[in-house]
Amino acid sequence: MIQRVLVANRGEIACRVLRACREAGLSSVAVYAENDRLGMFKELADDSVLLEGDTIAETYLNGAAIIEAAQQTGADAIHPGFGFLSERAEFAQAVMDAGLVWIGPSPQAIEQMGDKMSARQIMKRAGVPVIPGVEIEEEDETLAMQAIRAAAQETGYPLLLKATAGGGGKGMRVVQTPDELEQGAQAARREALAAFGDGRVYVEKLLMKSKHVEIQILADAHGRCIHLGERECSVQRRHQKVFEEAPCSSMTPSLRERMGQAAVAAAKAVDYVGAGTVEFLLADDQSFYFLEMNTRIQVEHPVTEMVTGVDLVREQLRIADGQPMAVDELNIRGHSIEVRLYAEDATNNFLPAIGPLAVFRPPVGPGIRLDTGVREGDEVTPHYDPMLAKLIVFAPTRQEALQRMRRALDEFVVLGTTTNIGFLRDLCDVPEVISGDTYTSMIDDLYPDGYGFVPKQEHLDVALLSAAVAETTGMHRLRTAHKQSSGDVASPFQSLNRRYP
Amino acid sequence: MMEHEFRYNGETYDVVLERTPRIWTYAQHCAHPREDGRLRIYLENGTKAWAHVAKVGDVWWVHHCGRIYTLERLEAGASSNEQHGGLVAPMPGVVLEVLVSAGQSVEAGQTLMVLEAMKMEHRIVASDNGTVTVVHFSAGDRVEQGATLLDVEDTE
Repeated sequence: MIQRVLVANRGEIACRVLRACREAGLSSVAVYAENDRLGMFKELADDSVLLEGDTIAETYLNGAAIIEAAQQTGADAIHPGFGFLSERAEFAQAVMDAGLVWIGPSPQAIEQMGDKMSARQIMKRAGVPVIPGVEIEEEDETLAMQAIRAAAQETGYPLLLKATAGGGGKGMRVVQTPDELEQGAQAARREALAAFGDGRVYVEKLLMKSKHVEIQILADAHGRCIHLGERECSVQRRHQKVFEEAPCSSMTPSLRERMGQAAVAAAKAVDYVGAGTVEFLLADDQSFYFLEMNTRIQVEHPVTEMVTGVDLVREQLRIADGQPMAVDELNIRGHSIEVRLYAEDATNNFLPAIGPLAVFRPPVGPGIRLDTGVREGDEVTPHYDPMLAKLIVFAPTRQEALQRMRRALDEFVVLGTTTNIGFLRDLCDVPEVISGDTYTSMIDDLYPDGYGFVPKQEHLDVALLSAAVAETTGMHRLRTAHKQSSGDVASPFQSLNRRYP
Repeated sequence: MMEHEFRYNGETYDVVLERTPRIWTYAQHCAHPREDGRLRIYLENGTKAWAHVAKVGDVWWVHHCGRIYTLERLEAGASSNEQHGGLVAPMPGVVLEVLVSAGQSVEAGQTLMVLEAMKMEHRIVASDNGTVTVVHFSAGDRVEQGATLLDVEDTE
């Protein structure tokens, strides 16, 4: 029986998992780097251990230190969240070798699916269609470039360069024309090397106007393997998803069944146990192609939870404990949309932003869920991914979900750090988003010269009026907590000044 | 009557506030400040709205109708500190590659340096034709936000 879970992650997903542990009656342990000392996730755990060092290699990617922390604190299981060590087979193996429960699929399954080439082979054997493409094995810069040029000729343009070891849009580049190939390939290899320590890339034909549709699966150790329907994540910027929904607007019951069966076949092919996601590209003729399998919980898992009523993280804990999953027959109802809030300046080529969260007032009300790892008074630093929160809405229909999302984004007040809230709000009014005809390159097509925002004169006048009145009446003196925080341990006075609405 | 100067998106705005006992007016809109960091707004067209405000450094952050406005307050008589020819780091990061050296002439749009920040690559690009006079960092160096990376003298 699992009693105490160490969460080997930080921020929003650590909070999500730690809360699930609390709900399941399990005690929990957080690990944190020095610059996360004030992080909310640390406060949600029963115990916490500092991971010493300045780089993520020394902290959140330091498997040995994390396993040691688990042993020190009496944790008997490790949940990796997403990113970081979640898809490192050797870490999963090390956890198990240390006598701890790994909350995830077997190291063999991670390895087979983590390598894009072996995943493709397995899919082909399981009868799932794959996109035409070529893997570049050469490590040497010159030889690799030669091989990439040859592969590009074979697949044709436009094409996609992907890190073989990758995920999350890192080390990924779209190449439209042959003269962009050189620069794109170099950047992809460099990013892949920096992010995964493996510079190998993969050249793939880019399918135009296709949808990104992924199937959530759950498999337990008692031989049950099911799918929980799809998520559509077509609205992406530089292969980073920004707007995700369930169900997919163009899904039919028979297509869902076919894709679901393909995903289940994929999972069974590697004896998968746990929660996983099989990603597909869906062409407009309803043909679909295997992209990859993510052997972990995903960022966008909440939309599936909203429409199926299944708590996926809770099921992960149950399955890892050797229990059968507690899921009834699949029953999809209503519509759910998630948007990812990033600290970034959408009007300046989406440059990541930093600063204090001087005001952080999320929307509330029916059908609204916020998964976040930050709160008012926190500082957004350049050390980690700039995702601040995921705003999820649920409503009976897609149209109502979109209306709810507009309302929620309008109510969301974040002051002190630039966010993409305005950009997300504009997305909700894009005709393709309203009609559901979204496709993966939509954002690039919508904003060929970059996204811009021009305020209405009336609104700018109100903003100027507000700032002038605030300055005149000394409204800034109401908030003394947010001057220039030095990043030191919070003084009690700082805590006292935090406002609780 | 109170007068303030703000900068928004590179433009300077003069705001002259009129005051009636409890209400402030500008551009036909009225505002009533609250204790909780909000203002009640009475628009010229008769509708009501809210504005949320917070000051960070010299900048007022205003949320109104779902949008954020960052208004930098300019002290009376203060001169603007525009960058002249220096190319600065948009955020803290690490220099991945330096593609030019001092004395080299460059064209507008040419990539001069590649930075990595928040796990993404950023290209530092020349805004005009000119000559590189100083390169302040080399590959592998860590840079702070706002650090001048290179000096480029414009070609007349």
